[in-house]
Amino acid sequence: MAALPKRIIKETERLVADPVPGINATPHEDNLRYFDVTIHGPASSPYEEGIFRLELFLPEDYPMSPPKIRFLTKIYHPNIDKLGRICLDVLKTNWSPALQIRTILLSIQALLGAPNPEDPLANDVAQRWKEDEKAAIETAREWTRTHATV
Amino acid sequence: MAKVPRNFRLLEELEKGEKGLGADGCSYGLVDSDDVMMSNWNATILGPPHSVHENRIYSLKFHCGDSYPDQPPTVSFISRINLPCVNQYGNVDISKLQRVAQWNRDFTMEKILVALREFMAHPSNKKLPQPAEGTTY
Repeated sequence: MAALPKRIIKETERLVADPVPGINATPHEDNLRYFDVTIHGPASSPYEEGIFRLELFLPEDYPMSPPKIRFLTKIYHPNIDKLGRICLDVLKTNWSPALQIRTILLSIQALLGAPNPEDPLANDVAQRWKEDEKAAIETAREWTRTHATV
Repeated sequence: MAKVPRNFRLLEELEKGEKGLGADGCSYGLVDSDDVMMSNWNATILGPPHSVHENRIYSLKFHCGDSYPDQPPTVSFISRINLPCVNQYGNVDISKLQRVAQWNRDFTMEKILVALREFMAHPSNKKLPQPAEGTTY
């Protein structure tokens, strides 16, 4: 395998040495561009006390292209679809090479605390979020209890 | 080159299939749209022109195991077909398909479908007698 770019080595070292509270990212031994990630649901959100598993991959042209990332744990959220794909501007058009794995994971954690039904990926969830926010939040809590707690 | 992990590879194939950017005469998608592991896929092949298969639509299924794409998926026909690489249960022996016989992790489900469609149109296969249209395994 080709040598891992310095940028990725540095980012990985820092993620391990100086982890972000509530976020863990560990590279696979056999593929150092592929990370197992866990994110703790933010306090006072419907995802509180949930631990969500994600997977992250740094493509060949990272950091010119953003990391690819998705949820493996089922989650009820208007910006996350049934396959765990995430609608977040910094993962698409607003990506900049100045961003990092760390900042992206923080943005995803923030997205859990601030769902945005106006820019939906899961249309049925977004619809319900707009029509009956209280019920949608209750469903999100239920899913967190069912799928995201050990 | 960066080695694209199984799940991200399957997401790429799904997006290509969903956008209908697939090769001529072939389509594919997930059996269950909420199957997070993306293991089971449906596909169709439109019978190649100038063959006994012309105007027929063949249904197939794929199973992508944990070691896909390092290992090829399993492929089988749902629609009955008489073809030398397909056994009596509909299972496809991809080692008999020249283009994909030497499996390589860059190959995709689409490439297998294209290879099958070519094989159906091959001079030695294009006139083989076929089971009644619409019958299944």
